[in-house]
Amino acid sequence: MASVSEDSLDEIGFAPKQQLLVEGIRIARQLASRPLSLLGLIIVAAFVLMALIGPLIAPYEFDTLIRGAARLPPSSSYLFGTDRLGRDIFSRVLWGARDIMTIPGIATALAVMIGSALGMALGYFGGWIDEVVSRVLDSLLSIPALLLALVMLGTIGPSPIGIVIVIVLLYVPIVTRVIRSATLNIRSSGFIEAARLRGESALYILFREILPGVLPALTVEAALRFSYAIFLTASLGFLGLGVQPPSPDWGRMVNEAREGYARTPWALWFPAGAIATLVIGVNLLADGLRRVFRYEGVI
Amino acid sequence: MNRSRNVNWRVMVFAAVILLITGSVFAVNAQSGAVLRIGIVTPATLDPALGSNDGEVLFNRSIYDHFIDILPDRTLAPNLASDWSISDDGLTYTFNLVQGVKFHDGSDFSSADVVFTFNRLKEVKSSALNLLGDFEVSAPDGNTVVFTLAAPNADFLYGVGSRFALILKDGTTDPVAANIGTGPFMNPQFADDGASVSLSKNANYWKAGEPALDGVEFKYIDDPVTQVNALRSGDVDFIYKISPDQVSVVESESGVSLIKATTNQHPVIRLRTDVGPGQDVKVRQAFKYATDREQLNELVLEGRGTVGNNDPIGPAYGDYFDSSIQNQTYDPQKACELLSEAGYADGLTITLQTINVLGYDQLATVLQQQWEPACIKAEIQVNEEGFYYADDNPNNWLKAELGITGWGDRPVPQGYLVEAYATDGIYNETHWSDPALDDLIKQASATSVPAERVKIYNQISEIFNESGPVIIPWFAPVFAATRVGVNGLVLAPFPGDTDLRTVSLSS
Repeated sequence: MASVSEDSLDEIGFAPKQQLLVEGIRIARQLASRPLSLLGLIIVAAFVLMALIGPLIAPYEFDTLIRGAARLPPSSSYLFGTDRLGRDIFSRVLWGARDIMTIPGIATALAVMIGSALGMALGYFGGWIDEVVSRVLDSLLSIPALLLALVMLGTIGPSPIGIVIVIVLLYVPIVTRVIRSATLNIRSSGFIEAARLRGESALYILFREILPGVLPALTVEAALRFSYAIFLTASLGFLGLGVQPPSPDWGRMVNEAREGYARTPWALWFPAGAIATLVIGVNLLADGLRRVFRYEGVI
Repeated sequence: MNRSRNVNWRVMVFAAVILLITGSVFAVNAQSGAVLRIGIVTPATLDPALGSNDGEVLFNRSIYDHFIDILPDRTLAPNLASDWSISDDGLTYTFNLVQGVKFHDGSDFSSADVVFTFNRLKEVKSSALNLLGDFEVSAPDGNTVVFTLAAPNADFLYGVGSRFALILKDGTTDPVAANIGTGPFMNPQFADDGASVSLSKNANYWKAGEPALDGVEFKYIDDPVTQVNALRSGDVDFIYKISPDQVSVVESESGVSLIKATTNQHPVIRLRTDVGPGQDVKVRQAFKYATDREQLNELVLEGRGTVGNNDPIGPAYGDYFDSSIQNQTYDPQKACELLSEAGYADGLTITLQTINVLGYDQLATVLQQQWEPACIKAEIQVNEEGFYYADDNPNNWLKAELGITGWGDRPVPQGYLVEAYATDGIYNETHWSDPALDDLIKQASATSVPAERVKIYNQISEIFNESGPVIIPWFAPVFAATRVGVNGLVLAPFPGDTDLRTVSLSS
């Protein structure tokens, strides 16, 4: 029974790789046709680029104390000015892009992977396991995110890995719930029934039949979670629970600049502006994706 | 028709009476407006024998009186003790009490209260014992108190005047609940929201004309930036310990005046001497050569501090400060060589623990940069202040191999030596044990001739310079600020010690 040919797969609606690429281009086109979505796409692309090559083009290291250059306002030699210790803020913001993209990026990826696998399984199999796990996840959802993060980081100690763990634990229940309900919607569709009648294994059905069906929900959810994760990471950095100095973490930079705001406001403007821009960009992109997929789920 | 007119009249009279009552209430409030509002960090304990941070001490010394006062210039003055004499062998101190002093509950103050207070300090192991040493206290009569010492102690009177030695009523079991003292303010009213506490004037205070205020209100504001903003907006009249970044903000603000006091408050960059690399004196010296104190003072304090050496006896102590010491100038090469000799040929990697206040996180950041060319690779770990000093933290200030600790001002240098550097010091954070140093600390305690003490302290400074595990980047001044209209406030080097009795308010 397992010897189903590629051709018959196509007949029942499975998209091979080339088709996915075509689909990707279609999505990008549709995104570009809406100005706000296009803006989101451009912003996110710019920040990704910044994370990739930022450190290469930064004029200084993120921790270099430039002698005699403390508290200088933005100028042609220091685009974003310098902070109270004489570090170039432009360089620090560039360096910081890497942390703010990778920590929430990895955490979101993990949360989405675990959450979708769990959500699809719960939605597909149902039964009392679904009931129990769903209620446990619901109870986890009722705890305020930042509070839980503070308690957990206070216990395991502040570190990038700690933040990743916290974000994964916070977002797995949310992703699971969204994917579970998306799975429920397509679970009784004809092609699932067909696959079952063909005698396909449960794993095959989950990943070959259901996964493509929940992909729109998953993509939108991933983009949204990413934007929340960025904000949470920056918040934890601001509260001193993120990475340690002299790391150019944007949240930490905002906190460090807070006391001296009256004298060196630029030290606060630029990292705060970077956080805001990135979060808005990711949100615009997520909104655009939602429209492309005509996804009606709750955001 | 008539009837309804009557009703209207009644309503109008009623309204007029209500207006009069509320109006007079507001008028009374306005009259008793000479209340000084102070921004403090939320107190952890208000037990006078234990409360050690500025806000706690300031609150406690409003309710209670010192037996003798230590003035902002570090000299002693009578308070509840009118005068005292010391026996020739330096072992017996006899104090006479001021007459006619009453506690807030109306009972008379007598020698029994003093005996009770000082015995309680022993019971609760108060930090006051650091300078009091071993003593017995007794009351031959109602107006005399006699202290008998186990050994001569030149700083004993500073122990008697300690900020923890506030006179309680005899038999007080829980001072936090009772709040009965002889002090200038009384009857603390804790706000329901837990955000402030108000004290009213003790109208029967034993010092004529004091306090000049009608009351004080302590507002709990933990965040230093919020404190400054509260002062600027007029929510509080007095704040202290303004952070380096905020000083110039306050300076340029109209309606607010900045006050500065020279102090011996300092950060200590310290290595453990019993575990880790700090066991080797060469490593300790390498850290000294790897540290550019001038740059630290310049960048973190904007040059407002006084650059320190390697011992806690700063210039604030006058002659006791050894100005002849040649400390290590920044020399990364030399530091590398010393580390290499100590067995760290490839350099040293170590975690630097620090706290998030007083600019110490910035201090750590600059240190890391200075140490890098000196073959020391430091990972910074910034802790919440409370967490770093907490007992159950495995990397707390007493356990960390390398850390930065803040030390507040002490009236006499002996305080630091006994607490932190003697082998059996209760806060011996470096776990240093040097018999020669221990011996000198004991000698200093037993020596009351200032010129002799200067010699001993200079020898102590020399030991710190040659083999000590600490670096003092600076001695920091303390900055406070008041709103215009606050008069007669003399800021103490430890702001919590500031005397509020002579402070007055003018509109």
